[in-house]
Amino acid sequence: MNHAATRRSHLPQRVLLPLVALALLGAPALAQDALGNENPGHEAPKRGGTLVIGIGQNPGHLNPAISTGSEVHAVADSLFNGLVGLDDQANPYPDLARAWEVSDDARRYTFHLHAGVRWHDGEPFTSADVAFTFQQVLLRYHARTRTGLAGRLERIETPDDLTVTFVFREPYAPFLQQLNVTEAPILPRHVYASVADVQNAPENLAPVGTGPYRFVEYVVDDRVVLARNDDYFKPGLPYLDRLVFRVIPDANTRLLALERGEVDFIGGLPAGELDRVDALPEVTVFTPNSGSGGGFCVMTMSFNLERERFADPRVRQAFAHAIDRQQVLDQVLFGRGRVASGPIHSQLAFAYSDDVRAYPFDPALAESLLDEAGHPRGADGTRFAATFLHFPAFAKYGEVLRQNLAQVGVQLELVALDRAAFISRVFEQRDFDTNVISYCNNSDPAIGVARVYVSSNIGNIPFSNAAAYVNPEVDRLFAEAASQADVAERGRLYAEVQRLLVDELPVLWLVETQFSAAGRAEVRGLAPWSGSPAEAAWIAR
Amino acid sequence: MLAFVARRLAQAVPLLLAVAVLTFLLIELAPGDPIVALAGEDGDAAYYAMMRERFGLDRPLGERFAAYMGRVLRGDLGFSYRLQQPAVTAVLGRLPATLLLIGPALLLSTAIGLALGVLAARRPHSLGDTAVSTVSLLGHAVPVFWLAQLLLLVFAVRLEAFPVQGMRDVRLDAQGWAGALDVARHMVLPVTALTVQFLAPIARVARASLIDVLGQDYVRTAVAKGLHGRVVLGKHALRNALLPVVTVIGAQVGFMFSGAVLTETVFAWPGLGRLLLSAMLARDQAIVSSMFLLLTVAVVLSTLLVDLLYAALDPRIRYG
Repeated sequence: MNHAATRRSHLPQRVLLPLVALALLGAPALAQDALGNENPGHEAPKRGGTLVIGIGQNPGHLNPAISTGSEVHAVADSLFNGLVGLDDQANPYPDLARAWEVSDDARRYTFHLHAGVRWHDGEPFTSADVAFTFQQVLLRYHARTRTGLAGRLERIETPDDLTVTFVFREPYAPFLQQLNVTEAPILPRHVYASVADVQNAPENLAPVGTGPYRFVEYVVDDRVVLARNDDYFKPGLPYLDRLVFRVIPDANTRLLALERGEVDFIGGLPAGELDRVDALPEVTVFTPNSGSGGGFCVMTMSFNLERERFADPRVRQAFAHAIDRQQVLDQVLFGRGRVASGPIHSQLAFAYSDDVRAYPFDPALAESLLDEAGHPRGADGTRFAATFLHFPAFAKYGEVLRQNLAQVGVQLELVALDRAAFISRVFEQRDFDTNVISYCNNSDPAIGVARVYVSSNIGNIPFSNAAAYVNPEVDRLFAEAASQADVAERGRLYAEVQRLLVDELPVLWLVETQFSAAGRAEVRGLAPWSGSPAEAAWIAR
Repeated sequence: MLAFVARRLAQAVPLLLAVAVLTFLLIELAPGDPIVALAGEDGDAAYYAMMRERFGLDRPLGERFAAYMGRVLRGDLGFSYRLQQPAVTAVLGRLPATLLLIGPALLLSTAIGLALGVLAARRPHSLGDTAVSTVSLLGHAVPVFWLAQLLLLVFAVRLEAFPVQGMRDVRLDAQGWAGALDVARHMVLPVTALTVQFLAPIARVARASLIDVLGQDYVRTAVAKGLHGRVVLGKHALRNALLPVVTVIGAQVGFMFSGAVLTETVFAWPGLGRLLLSAMLARDQAIVSSMFLLLTVAVVLSTLLVDLLYAALDPRIRYG
């Protein structure tokens, strides 16, 4: 399997190819820019200017290789690169690697790096940086990369400065999806090799990367200022002179700042505001599948299977029939998103299957299932009470679910907890009946889906198998799908695991959510799904 | 006087130690640890075990408490791994921004509150008095985040008179006088929100105290002597009426910091309030402890200042 021939080698070609194709076809005045955004009228990108991005959380430090925290990546990813980039559908395209080959058994991945890439301090970038970053940093401290790769990777070879080969113990299919700047940012060896403690180093506050922007200034809780990397290895990029991240914790204030033009781009719009903002001529709304820190997310209600009541499948099925998921979609997400059919997001096309059991909204059926399970209505009409743990931001889900379940005699008690308390109560103390978590598939089910259902991931592990679901067949199918090279075969295995999970219903998948972001209309070329949204952005004013 | 100040400061030491202990327990006994804030999501059991060990979160509570108190007694308030800097650096770095809000808000709420109090006390139960009481109580009763949002919608979005957020315009990046003017423009709305919040108790106490003083014999004597109303009020009554007002203002300082949490969040003002909130959510022990100790020092100093002001205002009060 050779991806090099079929993949576009670098960004300018990605701009050029669609434009040429459209011109040849005599297409109307609508084209796509470097990252697939609509670019009406074939406008030539303008250079210069400052783009201000409003972010919700202070980043803390700026080393994206030691944390999976979205607050770090929202800023730091613009300073670094991965070996590959991922588009909105999680397809890989060249980044630091200009091309790659994958052996037929999916055990050897060889990457050919761009020549002439320099770090922000002028030192040359080589394959040694890649090997160092993986061996000394990512495989130790980056939660997802360590969990996904540390046990599987046999060795990393660097035959020359511009070639790096990863050799796996067994075939591993989703590797390319784990190499973008969010999953595997490459750090400079010459800066970090002498650092005693990578997790606590002054270098993490004065980062040196290869990315489109270089570091200028960081004022905690206020702003991070980056400037154009004049030596960026992608010819012509970036277009902007400065990129400023402003920390604005309140979502409403962030939106007002965008409307006033104080900031040019924000993520995380309040759901109820999307339609109004969409109607504003000066603002463009984006609803990508991914955002910084995650992608392809499914809002999931977990049942505590260690509690007798929820170990009974009839109770779980009753919940599924009692909850009107279309109402959840309409009232909580204002119709933006999709009713979920199972654990895999419908946009992950190769793995998604809709050939699963359906649980239509049917309160009468829910009532008979609860009767059958031995939970009759009491004198006050209530069958039983159950706790529902949620983040304060997810309170609206709880309200709709409480109304739905009250109809069938189940009293849902909403318990709002901050993130640390939620993790402790669900994964450490196991003190809950049900809860809601936004589980993100990320770019491959082997990364984001398996961890929610495999039996090896039960315990005091944040956002793991909350239901404490154990099924050896499910474990086997996930393991096999991850080590299978053939995409069609992987799809078949994931279809099988979806059928099994939806039959057994250890959790209830409510809705597929979208990320939301908005930019000023004059800003073009934004990549709102990416950790580095402004690599090809420019301002048309 | 000096002996009094020294004694009061010495009394603050056990208080500060008690606050240090309470803060430790507050964070430690709250459910959840800082591991996700430090390392992010999606690790496996081995990863989180390693990280908990790395940050000492796996050690018993008693051992961690001993280590913490040992550091506090040596004057080391700890290191914030989340921000990768010493907690004291982070806290002191944010202090000026908060003082820039609280200072003017304290001055303005005192000046306006006193003026309103005097206005109301001159004719108790008149229309003016009722209006002052209603408006100031309303200002105190509305939640500060709601008031802040309202100010934003009217003055920043509709009238476009002031910026929505932040302390400076990052595009302008103005320096010198232009920079000071830029910060001043950004201060107007958050300072207004805080002022409105804190003016009511000052106005209410000033009014009540002044009405009380105006009814006393010496004021009646002064009026009988034929002194001008303004002289009676300004020179004789107000000074005596100020004692309870000063007490209220002193007590406000602590509340001002807590009011700043919400105000700073809504206006994206990079001050202590936001640092405290994010540190609490991340269970960042070092920052939370340092913040509470700093707040305790602020409250101790403001009460001391109030006591000293008593002596200045009332010659009968002497500290030895």
